[in-house]
Amino acid sequence: MTRGEPCIGIVGAGIAGLRAANALLKCKVDARIVIFGDETHRTYNRPGLTKKRYPSSDAPGTTIAEDLKVNGVENKALTWRLDTRVETADLREKVLRLSTGETFAYDALVIASGVRPRTSVEGDNECEFHAHRTLRGLDDAQHIHSELQTSKKVTIAGAGFVACELASLAKEYGCEVVMLETRRHGPFESILGRRIAMALGRWITQNGVTFLTGDSAKELLCDPGASNLESSSDRPLFIEAIGSVPNVEWLRGNGLDLSDGVRVDAYMRVPEREGVFAAGDIARYPDPWTTEDLTRMEFWKNAIDTGDLAGRSVASSLGYDSKTSRIGYFPSIATEVFGLRIQIAGNPKTSDSMEIVRGDLDQLDCGVLVKFLRGEVMVGAAYMDKGARFNSVYIELLKSLKAH
Amino acid sequence: MKIFVDRIKCQNHGLCAISAPANFELDTDGELQYHESFDEEHIDDIEDAIDSCPLQAILLNRDAA
Repeated sequence: MTRGEPCIGIVGAGIAGLRAANALLKCKVDARIVIFGDETHRTYNRPGLTKKRYPSSDAPGTTIAEDLKVNGVENKALTWRLDTRVETADLREKVLRLSTGETFAYDALVIASGVRPRTSVEGDNECEFHAHRTLRGLDDAQHIHSELQTSKKVTIAGAGFVACELASLAKEYGCEVVMLETRRHGPFESILGRRIAMALGRWITQNGVTFLTGDSAKELLCDPGASNLESSSDRPLFIEAIGSVPNVEWLRGNGLDLSDGVRVDAYMRVPEREGVFAAGDIARYPDPWTTEDLTRMEFWKNAIDTGDLAGRSVASSLGYDSKTSRIGYFPSIATEVFGLRIQIAGNPKTSDSMEIVRGDLDQLDCGVLVKFLRGEVMVGAAYMDKGARFNSVYIELLKSLKAH
Repeated sequence: MKIFVDRIKCQNHGLCAISAPANFELDTDGELQYHESFDEEHIDDIEDAIDSCPLQAILLNRDAA
C-alpha cells in the first residue's frame, strides 16, 4: 500500500474526538483524519441529555437529536465512520481492526473512546421485575425520555450527577420517583462530603422524591414484592446511574497502563507507544492540582480541553508548529437539581476540612457557599443556590483558587 | 464580533460567568446577564465561556459589527 499524507485515527465521536480533529485542522495538518464512532450519531451535547423535558411530539427522538447537535467543521480531510466499533488495536503494527471486518492503518492515533455506564445486571436488560436501563448515549436518552413521558413510576439507582438530573427530569415529566443510594448518605458525597450530601438528600426529599439510603435502599434494589409478573413492556423503569467504566478493552495486549482509563502524560501522550494519544473521559493524566497524582475527569469541559490538547500534540508529533502546553485544566462544573443550581470548582475531594462561607445547609435554596481546605490552603469551592445571591462572592473565591 | 446567548437553551448554570466575568454575570435572581460586545483582549475568556457552557447556548456572531 502506498501512502502519501499521514493518516490519523480518532477512536470516539464524542466531543473529545471532535475537538482533537478540530485542533488538527486548525494547525493545518496535511493528513487524512478518520473519526470512528460506535453510535450512529455525530457529536452531540452529552450534558444536554438530562437537562430538560422534551414535548411528547410525534418524533421525540428527532427533537432531542436536533436540539443537541454539535456543529463540527466540514472538511474534506475529515471522514466520519459512524456505527463502526474498533474491536482491537495493534499499537506495535499501528493497525485497528473494525467491527466491519476491515483493518485501518494509522500513523497517529487518538484514543477518545470514553466510558460506559457501570451496571449491576449482567447481559440482559431485564430482571424479573423491572425494565433496566442506563443512560450514556443519545439513543439511551431518547428511549428514557419517551419512557418518562408515559411512566408512572421510575426507580433510579445512584445519587451522582446523572442520577440527580434524571430524578429532577422524571419529576418534571410527572413521574413518581424513588432514588436508591446504597453506599452513601446523599448526592455527591464522594466529592462534597457527608454533611452537604445529607443536605442535598433532604432537598431532593422536599421535592417529592422518595430518597432511600443504606439498607432500606438495598432492599429495593430489585423489588421482591412485585411478584405478579407483568409483561415485559409494563415493567416499571429502573435506571442505573451508578458510575462508569472506561472503554479500554479494545486496547488490551499492547502493554499500556489501563488500570483506570488510559494513562497519559501532561501532553496527552501515551508514554508506552509512539504516536498514540488519549483524551476525554478515558484519559488519566497528571493532576495539575496536586503533585504526583493522576486524575481522570468525566466532564464536558475536560473533554474539550484534553481533546484540543491531544490534537495539538499530534500535530506537533508530526512536525507541525502548534501551541502545546501542559494540561492546565481548571475543574468547574454546574448542575441543576429541582431548581437548585449546584456549582463545584477545584478539587474538593482532596480537602481535609470545609468551611461554610455564607448561608445555612438547612436552607440550601437561600444560598450556601462552601470552601474546601487542605490544611490552610483552599483546594475547592461549592455554591448552591436557587437564585444567585452569593455568585459574585463565589467568583471571587474562584479567582484565588485559580491563582494557587 | 458579538456574543449571542440562546435564551431557550440557557439554563443559568453560570459557568460562563466564571470563565469570562467581564462579559457574563448572574443577577441576584440567578438570571444570566451579558454584554454582547467585548474587547479583543478577552477573546480567550469568551471562548472558554463558550466551551464551558453545558447547554452550548453561547455563540459568537463573527459577522456582527
